[in-house]
Amino acid sequence: MNKIKKIVVNWETFLLALLILEFVVFGAKNAKFLMPRVLLASVNDFIAICFIALFVTFVMITGGIDIQAASIVGLTSIIIGVGWQDGGMNIWTAAAVAIIAAIVCGALSGFFIAYCGVQAMVVTLGGSFLYAGFALLVSNFSATEAYQGISGFPDDFKIISKFKLFGVIPSQLIAFLVLIIIAYILLHKSKYGRSIFLVGINQEAAEYSGINTRLVIMSTYILSAISAALAGIMLTSYLGTAKSDLGSNLTLNIITAVVLGGTLSTGGKGSVIGTALASLVIGILRFGLPLCFKVNTQYLDIPVGILLLVVVIGRAVLSRPETAALLKKFKKD
Amino acid sequence: MKYIKKLTKAREFSSLLFLIILFAIVGCINSSFLTPSSIAACFNDSVVFTLLAVGMAFAIFIGEIDVSVGANLGFTASVVGSLLRDGHSWVFAFGVGILIGALIGLINGWGVAVLNIPSLIFTLGTNGVLRGLIYVYTDGAWVENLPAAFTAFASKPLIGDLTIFYSVTIVAVIVIHILLTRTKKGKYFIAVGDNAGGATLVGIPTVQTKIVAYVLCGIFAAIASILYASRIGFITAIAGNGYEMKAIAACVIGGISLSGGLGSVIGASIGAIIMSSVSRILVFMGFSSDYDNTITGIMLITIVVLDALMQRHAAERIRRERLLNRAANSADNKGGEKA
Repeated sequence: MNKIKKIVVNWETFLLALLILEFVVFGAKNAKFLMPRVLLASVNDFIAICFIALFVTFVMITGGIDIQAASIVGLTSIIIGVGWQDGGMNIWTAAAVAIIAAIVCGALSGFFIAYCGVQAMVVTLGGSFLYAGFALLVSNFSATEAYQGISGFPDDFKIISKFKLFGVIPSQLIAFLVLIIIAYILLHKSKYGRSIFLVGINQEAAEYSGINTRLVIMSTYILSAISAALAGIMLTSYLGTAKSDLGSNLTLNIITAVVLGGTLSTGGKGSVIGTALASLVIGILRFGLPLCFKVNTQYLDIPVGILLLVVVIGRAVLSRPETAALLKKFKKD
Repeated sequence: MKYIKKLTKAREFSSLLFLIILFAIVGCINSSFLTPSSIAACFNDSVVFTLLAVGMAFAIFIGEIDVSVGANLGFTASVVGSLLRDGHSWVFAFGVGILIGALIGLINGWGVAVLNIPSLIFTLGTNGVLRGLIYVYTDGAWVENLPAAFTAFASKPLIGDLTIFYSVTIVAVIVIHILLTRTKKGKYFIAVGDNAGGATLVGIPTVQTKIVAYVLCGIFAAIASILYASRIGFITAIAGNGYEMKAIAACVIGGISLSGGLGSVIGASIGAIIMSSVSRILVFMGFSSDYDNTITGIMLITIVVLDALMQRHAAERIRRERLLNRAANSADNKGGEKA
């Protein structure tokens, strides 16, 4: 009985209910929304949010924040394009180079945050400028004008986003599932994951219990950079064009997904499943509103921003002592 | 002599020195940069960033941040611009604009100070909502055809080549600086940012101070938006995009510590000049001004990392001195016991 109660009042269950509610509302409004082909194709539009949010969760559990991931998506994309078209690389070598570049970017920011003790917000803010600038720099090596983007990739590169398991399930969803499993094992089932939580709760205590806290903090930024690189590869493959400003407006969505997923922005609490569900909630919202309610896609930052505000305000109000006392009184009556 | 020593120790001084050296180097490479009109243009162009940075400085003084100023600027500029275009009086349009800015600041302040929500996350949310509201308000169209008298005002010089806008702004910054450093209420901001718990204990209304800081930040963004509209002459739906980052960078470059409680609005305005001169300098040195953001990013990271390392070094030195003193004291005591 207790166990059932625990599942019912769980935050993840609430998110799942929210997701189902979205399906019901959007489906009732426009039946086209529930067509598997349409629904599964929509994944392409928000898969980057899902990928990156999973690993930004790690960063936020340590008490940091990562607002540079969005700029790494563009950097990855343009490195693949320029490496392949102008550098004469094999497309897979170019992708590998892009991932390595992302790792270097993540490690650089992570180093400054972990080893120099600079606030994560400032470093990743500077990083978002810097890596977007690198992307611009790389794009200038190309013979193609920057605004056009590089296209005409070989088919075996495009296949990673066009492939469908059993002819229905798109490769993006499979990749997302794999990433969820990896992230889940890393965060919830491994020693490394425990140390991430401990660093977020009390860095000094973690240090004294023999955890290399600085390395742990730095590693989370590398992980989020890698996830951004994977998102960049996926987007480049799907769109068929490499652009330096790809994904530049993802930051709000990523942070909202992580916060909505139940991660405390002060660190020490969070879950992979929560983030995964929350990123789907946001993704479906961004897909359903224009399709079913004719909301202009340019307005979509409003619902996402409101969602973020509602979640943080709601949590803050609930955790206030006055509200807690009121709730207790209410329960007694 | 004492004043000179005090001046060189100030954090803004190194920013000023940096500004002078930067201009000198660029002047050596391309002498046409150092003409009075070119330098005046650097100052005049920085006016929007100066106002944003001064507003942002209030938020950073109290140890918080406000990333919604860019969207605040865009939204307020759209509203003020459309009111002016439709023939409303200047006073009415400006009043509405400043009221909107103050209201946005009030909401941010409420979330951060009353509800204790991390400021970056809360203001990121309001930023998203405001960005969307710009599209709702303007329908994605540009706000154009502003009255000629309004746009012409932006280029009217007052002293030499300096515009009225910049001259008034600089006077305002100096007045604010004096208010912040010489009055009791003005010192509240720094006190709250330096040590919020301690400030509460000595009777400073911490929550109210934080809210006031955010309201001021919103008002400055609104004033900046009026100047923006006047200078540019039209407002696009992406107006002010990324300006919040530049305002933060200006504060950091101007010697304001992001952990709060350190720095001055003078520093913020010096930082704003450096920030807004970067693209101009790039052009004078023969590079593309596209690298504007890259240079900003490099400067931002370099400065915060250097600052953090220097602070750590200072803390380490103080700790060592204290330990040495303690060791010396205990040695003295032992000597006394023996005798």
